[in-house]
Amino acid sequence: MSIVETVLVFVGIPALIIAVLALLVYGRSQFKGPNRYRPGKPWNFPPVWYLPHPAPGSAAETDRLALESTSGASAPRAAQQKAVGGASGEW
Amino acid sequence: MSGEVSRRGPALQYGPRADADAVHHPFSPRQLARIDEAMTLSSRESGLTFSVYVGSLDEPHRAAAESLFEILSERTNDPVLVAVSPGQRVLHIVTGTESAARLPNRACALAALGMRASFSGGDLVGGIVTGLRMLADSAGAGR
Repeated sequence: MSIVETVLVFVGIPALIIAVLALLVYGRSQFKGPNRYRPGKPWNFPPVWYLPHPAPGSAAETDRLALESTSGASAPRAAQQKAVGGASGEW
Repeated sequence: MSGEVSRRGPALQYGPRADADAVHHPFSPRQLARIDEAMTLSSRESGLTFSVYVGSLDEPHRAAAESLFEILSERTNDPVLVAVSPGQRVLHIVTGTESAARLPNRACALAALGMRASFSGGDLVGGIVTGLRMLADSAGAGR
């Protein structure tokens, strides 16, 4: 065997196998979907804030349409409330 | 007050949307569907409005969560805010005048405990879903 063949067989093939295994192990989480959260890792996503979908036909549904048509910027309807209670926790 | 909302970044959304800004979104469509289902069912069962915030909270955390709650209370009836900050590893449940009558602080603390158990295991969505279910169960059926 020439030097090139030797290198290909004894370095190229093992490197290829390692690359395939690494892709199988890490590839899916790297390229597909958002990262899984792990405690202690930084959270680099913009904040998100969700409200439940109102029941169809309810008063809240018509409010939702009105609110979405003004891009959620205005239309205050309930009086502002102070926070009264709740709970907090750390992990 | 609407300026307050935009300064903080998140706009209130009705239900998660899987297609919105998918690259920078923390949750997969399936996870969003789970959060959406838990939030909507809890709210319809109990008659309260459960809102979920996931993102960083300014120091002090409690005051930041309460100011978010005040914004929320202008838009909805009987709101309950569940604020989770995965980066800072804190969670806050905030109730108002009406919702506190249905959800005593002890019930909120129990839900927070259940959420902490899931969060410390790395299950963010599971913790949110668990917390919402526990809160809705404690609040009981709505009017």
